[in-house]
Amino acid sequence: MTRKSRRLWLVVACMIGLGSAAALTLNAFSSNIVFFMAPSQVHKKPPPADRTIRLGGMVVAGSVHREKVKDTPVAIFDVTDGQDAVTVRYEGILPDLFREGQSVVAVGTVNPDGTFRASEVLAKHDETYMPKEVAEELRRSGKWDPRFGKAPDATSWNTMTATDTAKKPATQTPDGN
Amino acid sequence: MTHLPYIVAAYGLTLGVAAILSVNATIRLRQARKRLAAIEQPGRTRRPS
Amino acid sequence: MNATQSLTARTGNLFHRYANPGRFLRMGAKLQPWLTWPALALSAAGIVCGLFFSPADWQQGDSVRIMYVHVPTAWLASSGYMALAVCSLLSLVWRHPLADLAAVEIGPVGAAITAVCLATGSLWGKPMWGTWWVWDARLTSVLVLFFLYLGHIALIRAFDEPQRGYRAAAILGLAGAIDLPIIKFSVQWWNTLHQPDSITVTGAPTMSTSMLWPLGLTTLGFTLGFGAIVLARLRASVMESRIRTILAASRGRQSAQTNPQTDSAAV
Repeated sequence: MTRKSRRLWLVVACMIGLGSAAALTLNAFSSNIVFFMAPSQVHKKPPPADRTIRLGGMVVAGSVHREKVKDTPVAIFDVTDGQDAVTVRYEGILPDLFREGQSVVAVGTVNPDGTFRASEVLAKHDETYMPKEVAEELRRSGKWDPRFGKAPDATSWNTMTATDTAKKPATQTPDGN
Repeated sequence: MTHLPYIVAAYGLTLGVAAILSVNATIRLRQARKRLAAIEQPGRTRRPS
Repeated sequence: MNATQSLTARTGNLFHRYANPGRFLRMGAKLQPWLTWPALALSAAGIVCGLFFSPADWQQGDSVRIMYVHVPTAWLASSGYMALAVCSLLSLVWRHPLADLAAVEIGPVGAAITAVCLATGSLWGKPMWGTWWVWDARLTSVLVLFFLYLGHIALIRAFDEPQRGYRAAAILGLAGAIDLPIIKFSVQWWNTLHQPDSITVTGAPTMSTSMLWPLGLTTLGFTLGFGAIVLARLRASVMESRIRTILAASRGRQSAQTNPQTDSAAV
């Protein structure tokens, strides 16, 4: 073996060792790396009342109630992961992206009665990017309701809005906002 | 435009850093080339770079 | 072992052909305009397109335009480190002199780009998520990448004898490459506040074509720009080391002239 190939094998061996060490460590700490818990996890294993957790899920359509208590806006809404739902109460200004059907992460504590008291609400947007016109077209034609789930594939937008795009090319319009 | 301050800040920062890096690299390259040309002896057959 | 031997020898020969400084400088000078001008043109086109001609997102509004600078810098932060890791491998196994110089020059550029990626992400996160920063897996792993860059910059310059710095920094550069798959897959392995990738190798992009265009332009433009800046710095670095060699040699000649017993044929 030349010195060069010996060095190469040494480097490869070190990288494999280091890689597996990193993988094992990440696997062991996996539950801590997770940024938020889902409502079903909270139900299954309720955290102690004094522990701050992050609760993540989708805002249930029709569950949002906004009121005002002494000038501070209060929002009460349900967060679901499809299996369970948790009612969240939050005092303060919600982020711009907050809406029914949006994924959110609420930071706070679980009350004894099972509801969640949030001190902070973050909006989590998904990987879909869509011009306003397309979104409105999909919604108007009833192909997609943003309150009930993720948008359809970008490749299917053309066929879904085909009836209108035949009349006016809606996809490449310059920004008119 | 909505969120204009954030957009301006993001683009300004990106272009600013890119400009600093490019200007720095250009000046360094120019100086190195000048110094190398000055000290390389004309008698020796070395290609100018 | 025979196969690997000849492989390392052959690849070594291939790399070392470009180790000749004169040849590198000639090739670099030829390559430079092909990186610089397309980089400027594509970046300018992408930015104008992204700022003024692409549509606003249906829920993010115009803040989606930050994507056209954030995503290319994120891509370059990772690929720049990948380049650093490759240089580290060339340095450790083949003792390639140009790879060492390249590692010195990639570090600061990569660190600056990673800082821009973190800052633009923050500027996007504040209006959209409602926070400048969260400690989720994606953001944290990119911050770790930034610190890896800083560590590499410091380590490679830390020794009086450059060779020792090159070795130490190459080990850090290779070991730090572990962070790259963690960054890439963090959004799949753990739930994060950061969105999953919109553009994947396997699936169709979840993005409108009118937004993909400017994104592609800036990504290509920034990548060429990164290459152009690193190449310019590397050419300067090779010239500087040649200047040092010539100065050292002429100092040697001067001392030879003062005492003619030593080799005077050097002139």
